[in-house]
Amino acid sequence: MTTPPSHIVELRDVHMQFEEKKVLDGVSLTVEPLQRLVIMGQSGSGKSTILRLILGILRPDAGSIFFKQFEITRLTPRKLRQIRRHIGMVYQYSALLSSRNVRDNVALPLEELTDKSAEEIEHIVDEKLRLVGMDDAKSMMPSELSGGMRKRVSLARALVMEPELILFDEPTAGLDPVISSVIDELIINLTEKSKVTSIIVTHEMESAFRMGTRMAMLYQGKIIEDAEPEQFKRSTNPVVRQFLSGSIEGPILEGSQDAIATK
Amino acid sequence: MAHQQSEGSSEPLLQANPVLVVQGIGQAGRNLLAEVGGMFWFVVQTFQETLDRIREGRAPFRASSFFRHTERAGVESVPLVGLVSFFLGLTMALLTGYQLQRFGTERLVPGLVAIAFTRELGPLLTGIMLAARVGAAFTAELGTMKVSEEVEAIEAMGIGPLRFLVAPRTLALFLLMPCLSTISNIAAIFATSLVCRAYFSIAFVYYLDLVQDALLIRDIVTGVFKSFMFGLLIAAIACYRGLNVKGGAAGVGTATTSSVVTAITTVIGVDTLYNVVYVIFFP
Repeated sequence: MTTPPSHIVELRDVHMQFEEKKVLDGVSLTVEPLQRLVIMGQSGSGKSTILRLILGILRPDAGSIFFKQFEITRLTPRKLRQIRRHIGMVYQYSALLSSRNVRDNVALPLEELTDKSAEEIEHIVDEKLRLVGMDDAKSMMPSELSGGMRKRVSLARALVMEPELILFDEPTAGLDPVISSVIDELIINLTEKSKVTSIIVTHEMESAFRMGTRMAMLYQGKIIEDAEPEQFKRSTNPVVRQFLSGSIEGPILEGSQDAIATK
Repeated sequence: MAHQQSEGSSEPLLQANPVLVVQGIGQAGRNLLAEVGGMFWFVVQTFQETLDRIREGRAPFRASSFFRHTERAGVESVPLVGLVSFFLGLTMALLTGYQLQRFGTERLVPGLVAIAFTRELGPLLTGIMLAARVGAAFTAELGTMKVSEEVEAIEAMGIGPLRFLVAPRTLALFLLMPCLSTISNIAAIFATSLVCRAYFSIAFVYYLDLVQDALLIRDIVTGVFKSFMFGLLIAAIACYRGLNVKGGAAGVGTATTSSVVTAITTVIGVDTLYNVVYVIFFP
């Protein structure tokens, strides 16, 4: 019998492999309530995989994953669907349904998963869209929105079910620095106001230090550093040091294809 | 491993090697079985998700979503199905009529076309047309949703994507297919009546008598049953292909082509199998 953890999320010795490529090699991680954990790492290092494992969209090859007292890896599909209602996810490219307008996108989880009346749904959608500053774009289609606007609608959609945990996959990727800061601030404000825990995956340093209350670095399938932002900045780990400085010299590029490009 | 295989296939000498031929056949057979199995479980899981939802005491999907699909798949297919069947009925009546006229038996034309369409050509033609028109649309739509992570986002919200996306499409096509093949039958029978009137001097009233005499309830029931089956097959194949798209825009293109080819082949194959079983066991 495994002891039920007091954390919101716990990963215990998780291994994951895609065909020949080992992505996670014994990752253990805990997330406490109200934390904003930033997971950093190179592109393709398996950061997004961690989010998909927590949602139960992917199954690990070994190890176990808990959301509160529920072991995600052992749930039936039906139970898993129920658990997912308590977790929000904001995708890198927003993943709004292109055939529905902003209002319908945000209302979708409420319409499909709750018994709320049309007025209640309208009220909640208005409220969430106001929180992200998109209340006057209700009837616009996703294709008419800019990247930053889409991100905000996606955030409203993630908030609409009042989740306990929100997962962000590269929330500021592809946005200009000003809009990135706006999104960062929005995430900080909303997660604090709604008292929700969040896990943010990013490789953008500035955003990471602005948002994170805790930072973890994923490298070669392992968490090599896990600390508060100030401590993280002072890390003596050479990989972390190179990642923070963005330098070409160091252990990260050794033996990689990218190293050849620098020669 | 993949590297070795591509090296092997690039040498024409090796292709004649019987071991490789047998291996190739085995591999193709395995892929086929995996495909059929995958599709079967896809349908089972769709049913399961939909039933789970009904057990929770909720409607499996919104009526508006269902009717949007019936309109797109069904109502908008009426002109195509009607027109093609009309022309085919016309051609069939003309060709058979001229042959039968030589023996003075052109009175058989109405019955011949009516039986051929209600029992066989109506459902088959409609099946082929819908596989191309609606099946391709379903695959492309779901494929694009899959590629742009929309399907995953739906799943991540806790909404069953099979229940939400596949069930309304499948039910719409399942229910609309018999209606469309009935339209196909009527169009063909109407076209034949025009040919019979114009070339073989069979009056409309007499024509209707001949059709009614020739048609058995059994023919109609067979046709309707087949149509239900084809509707289910086409929708299942199209949605399965759409939700299994891999690799961007090119993947959507490949999946759509494959969906249409698979659906048309399956419809014709199942139709043949059905006829064989029907003729042997219910002569």
